[in-house]
Amino acid sequence: MVKFTNPRWWVFSRIMAATLGGYALATSSSLFFSQLLLQSLGIYQALHIGMLLSFLIYACAAMWAFSTSTAKRAWLLLLQFNLVLITLSGLLMQVNP
Amino acid sequence: MKGDFRQSMKWLHTWVGLVVGWVLVFMFITGTSGYFKKEITRWMEPERPLASTHLDKGELLAMSQRYLAQHATDAKRWQIQLPNSRDGNLTLKWRKPPKKGERRGKRITKIINTDTGLATENIRATGGGSALYSLHYRLHYMPRIVAYWIVGFCTMLMLIAVITGVIFYKKIFSDFFTYRAKKGLIGWLDIHSVLSVIAIPFHFMITYSGLLFFLATYMALSFNLSLNSDQQGEYYDQVFPNNIVHEKSNVLGRLAPLSDMYIVSKQHWKKDTLTNVTVNFPMDSNSRVKFSRWETDITYNPEDQLVFAGVSGKIIEIPTRKVTVPGQINDGFISLHEGKFATPIVRGLYLFVGLLGAGMVASGLILWTTKRKPKQLKKTKGPDFGYRLVEQLNIGTIVGLPIAIALYFWANRLLPVGMENRAAWEINCLFISWAVLLIYPAFRPAITAWYEQLKISAFVFCFIPLLNFITTDKHLGITLPRSDWNLAGFDLTMLAIGLAFSFAAYKVKKHVIVKALKPNGDTYKTDENLAIAGFSSSTAKKESN
Repeated sequence: MVKFTNPRWWVFSRIMAATLGGYALATSSSLFFSQLLLQSLGIYQALHIGMLLSFLIYACAAMWAFSTSTAKRAWLLLLQFNLVLITLSGLLMQVNP
Repeated sequence: MKGDFRQSMKWLHTWVGLVVGWVLVFMFITGTSGYFKKEITRWMEPERPLASTHLDKGELLAMSQRYLAQHATDAKRWQIQLPNSRDGNLTLKWRKPPKKGERRGKRITKIINTDTGLATENIRATGGGSALYSLHYRLHYMPRIVAYWIVGFCTMLMLIAVITGVIFYKKIFSDFFTYRAKKGLIGWLDIHSVLSVIAIPFHFMITYSGLLFFLATYMALSFNLSLNSDQQGEYYDQVFPNNIVHEKSNVLGRLAPLSDMYIVSKQHWKKDTLTNVTVNFPMDSNSRVKFSRWETDITYNPEDQLVFAGVSGKIIEIPTRKVTVPGQINDGFISLHEGKFATPIVRGLYLFVGLLGAGMVASGLILWTTKRKPKQLKKTKGPDFGYRLVEQLNIGTIVGLPIAIALYFWANRLLPVGMENRAAWEINCLFISWAVLLIYPAFRPAITAWYEQLKISAFVFCFIPLLNFITTDKHLGITLPRSDWNLAGFDLTMLAIGLAFSFAAYKVKKHVIVKALKPNGDTYKTDENLAIAGFSSSTAKKESN
C-alpha cells in the first residue's frame, strides 16, 4: 500500500480540493442563487446573477481551502457546503412554480 | 497551511502566479495589442493607399454606394467603414450569397482607393492585428473549446492571484511610495507592488470580465441544467437584446443616396462623428440604413445609432432596447474589457495599463527567482532544475515573446507576397521564433541570456521602420510628410519599443556586469559577484571593454 506520509501529498490533496471542490461550489451556488431569485426576477436574470457571482465564490472557496488547518478539513467542509446548497436549491425548486 | 491566514495567502499568491505566469504574460501582451488591431492590420497591408481622412464623408459615401451597387447587388448587407483616426482607409465589406452546403457566404473586404474609386488589388494575405490579438483568448494550434478552457483556467488563477495579493500585502498603500533601489530583492519587490497597485482596479476588471466572455461555457453545468435549448436562446435575447428583427419585403426598391442621409445625420448629432454605415437588404423596398459613430458610453447609448428607411431616406425611431440589470453589468464589464468606447487618449491609457499588467506578472516571476537566488547559488551541484527552468522560461517569455511578435511583423514584410498559406506562416514564424528563444537560455548563463535577448529585441524592433523603408513605399519618409499618422504611428511605436529595450540592455550591462567587475565590491569578492551574475570572468571582461 502506498503511504501518503510525504507532506507533498497533502498539498496536492488541497490543490484538488480547491480546484474541484471550488468548481463544484461555484456551480451549486449559481444554481442556488438562480432558484432563490427565481420568484422576483425570473429564471434568466436569476441564473445570470448566479453565474456572475460564481467566479467570485470559486475564488473565495479556493483561497479558503488553502487557509484552513488541514486538507481533510478543506475537503469535508467544501463537501458539506456543496450538499447544503444543493439541498436548499432542491427545496426551493419544490416551492417555486 | 502555515497557520497564519496571511502567510497562507502569500504562499498561494506565489505558486498560483508561478503556475500560469508565462501564459498570463502572453495573454497580457497579445491582448494589449488588440487595442490597436485596426492600426496593426493597416500597417500589415502596405498595398493599401494612404489615409484619406481629409475627404468629405458625403463624397466618400456616394463613392461607396456607386461601387457596391455595381459589385455587390446580391449581398444581404453592405458595411461601409469611413476613414477615421484609427484606420485611414475607406473599407467596404459584404458577404457573397452562400453556395450549396455553406452556412454563410464568403466574406469580401475591399479597400477603396479614394483617388480612383476602385478597389485596391493584390493586397497581401495577412492575419493582421486580428490574428495577433485573438491569440490572447483563442491561443493557437488547438480546438477552440480547448483554448477557451485553458484560458479560463489561467484567468481564474489570475483572479485568485489578484485577490490574495491584495490580502497579504496589507501595507499596500503606504509602501506604494517607497522604492528602495539598488538592493536586488527589495528593488524587484517594490517594482512588483508598484506595477500592481497603480492599476489594481484594471487588473481586477480585465480578469473578471475575461471570464464573463465565456460565462455559459465555464458554467456549462448550471446553464444546461437550468435552461432547455429554447430557453437558452431566450436567455441570450434577454442579456444582449437586439434592436429589432427586420425582414425584407421581396419587392425591389431603390436606395436613396447615402450622402443625403449623411447631411441629416450631421444635423442630428450636431457633430461630424459618423464612422460606420450598414445597409440591410440594399435592393429591397424595405431596406434599412444604420449610421453609427464610435461608442460614446461604457454601456449602451441608443444615441450612437441612427436608422433610416432606405428608400425614403427618413429617420426611423426605433424602440430602445430593454436591458436587465445583470445584463447591463455584464455588458459594462465586457465593454470595459474591449475598450471600444475609448477615445485616442483613453486608448493610450489602455496600452499603458495593459503593459503594466504584463510588467506586473513579469516582475512577479523575476521576483520568484531573485528571492531564491542566494540559496540556489550556494548549492554544490549548482541551481536546481526547477529554478533553472523558471529562469529560462522567464527570459524566453519576458524578452523572447516581444522578439517573436516583432518577427511576426518581419515575416509580414519578408515572406513572398504570392506564398501559399501566407497568413498562417506569419503566425508560424511567431511561434517558431518564440520556441527557439525559450530553449536558447538553457545553454547560456542567465544574465548573459537576458543581456543577449534584450540586445536582439532592441535590434528587431528598431529595425522595423527601416525594413518597412526597404520593402514598401509606405515608410516614414512618405507617411510623415503626408501626415498619415496611422502608419507613421506604428513605425514610431516600434522604434520607441526598440529604444526601450536598448535602454534595458544598457542597464543590465551597466549595473550587473560592470558592477561585478569592480574590485573590492561591497559584500562579495569579484569572482563571487561574477558567479552571481552568472558570468565567467572572460565574458564579463569582454563586455566591459
